[in-house]
Amino acid sequence: MSAVSVEFKGVSKRFGNRSVLAAVSGTLQRGRVLVVAGPNGAGKSTLLNILAGLLRPSRGEVVYRDGDAPLARTHWFEHLGMAAPDMAVYEELSALENLRFFARLRGLHLEDPTLQELLDGLGLPPREHTRTVGTYSSGMRQRVKLAQAILHEPPVLLLDEPSSNLDEAGHGVVADLVARFRELAAVAVATNDPREMTWADARIDLAL
Amino acid sequence: MRASTLLSESLAVLGKELTAELRSRVALNAVGLFGLTTLIAVAYQIGPYRIQEQDRPHLLAALLWVILFFAATSGLSRVFVKEEDAHTAKTLRLAARPLAVFAGKFLFNLILLAALYAFIVPLYCALMGYAVQGVASLALLLACGAVALSATSTMVAAIISRASGSTTLFAILSVPLVLPLLVMLIQGTRAAAGSTTIAAVLPALQGVVSLGGATLVISVYLFPVVWHD
Repeated sequence: MSAVSVEFKGVSKRFGNRSVLAAVSGTLQRGRVLVVAGPNGAGKSTLLNILAGLLRPSRGEVVYRDGDAPLARTHWFEHLGMAAPDMAVYEELSALENLRFFARLRGLHLEDPTLQELLDGLGLPPREHTRTVGTYSSGMRQRVKLAQAILHEPPVLLLDEPSSNLDEAGHGVVADLVARFRELAAVAVATNDPREMTWADARIDLAL
Repeated sequence: MRASTLLSESLAVLGKELTAELRSRVALNAVGLFGLTTLIAVAYQIGPYRIQEQDRPHLLAALLWVILFFAATSGLSRVFVKEEDAHTAKTLRLAARPLAVFAGKFLFNLILLAALYAFIVPLYCALMGYAVQGVASLALLLACGAVALSATSTMVAAIISRASGSTTLFAILSVPLVLPLLVMLIQGTRAAAGSTTIAAVLPALQGVVSLGGATLVISVYLFPVVWHD
């Protein structure tokens, strides 16, 4: 896993007349978890979308660096994994089929036992691996979304409310995941859950 | 860096589309039922005998493409709208190259159109008593028409996918883009019906290939912008 860092400076975002983010700066780097906290509507998800390259900031800039070399925006996606409430996996496919699909898109040649091990590790029982996601509970879907995000062991991991819809055991699974990726990747977590805020090595508090 | 090729990514997107469609059958049902209903209505009201002999070449060719086009419109717009509705678009944006997404969706629409043509065209010929002299010419025209129509529909579907009222918008945006194509396809079909030689359909075929080719080339450049911004 390469050491990719993400630096963002003076990032602002407006939707029409409404300002959602105003001059937010920070850095994501391996070994540190950045927690983005704030009430609903403060712009946590917007910031993560900008860091993922899914939204363009109205002002400011985001720079991905692989070592010292800046990465072109078109290559950001190869280096990041993301899970968010407004992201879904395919309901018509099973968890295993979803992971096979995303692995193939990312050029990974992963055998089924490896994918099953990943799903097991996130607390999805083996009997559920081949059922279509459309029949899953919201907590089970969240586990598949997390599996999709970490499938390629990305050097940048963006998690927006990662424990949403998860039970207490699920929260523990996410805590373990963040602890593991802290050593491997630059991690950002957007949350307003006090337990998740304790994961922070650095913190950005957004206000309404 | 990616180890996968654009081809393998495109085939992965196509495979996902086919699997999801075979399980939900939403687009297949929409296209098939719309096509069949229109065909039966036309056959019942007009049939093989209510058109005067001198009008048959023009009207039968035009009616065939009206049925095919509007049946296709009911299903082809779904390829991107369903990704936005199901919140999978963002997941796909982060995992696949834009061109792979376009190619996979284009191929899926092409297969859907081929299935529609294979189902409707023979039935139309039988019910309307449409005797086509140049079957090979018509098959070639249908194949080129499907490529051009699929390219246009896939691109328009991507443009309208984030808009509300996207199905209406799809029809509004598609019609001016598809109209010249339809005119050439109707002319070509009329020529294929009356002649066994490919030369008879060549002018229409050249037009369809040019339009389809131009749409594909423009889409390759335009799609990444539409998909990410």
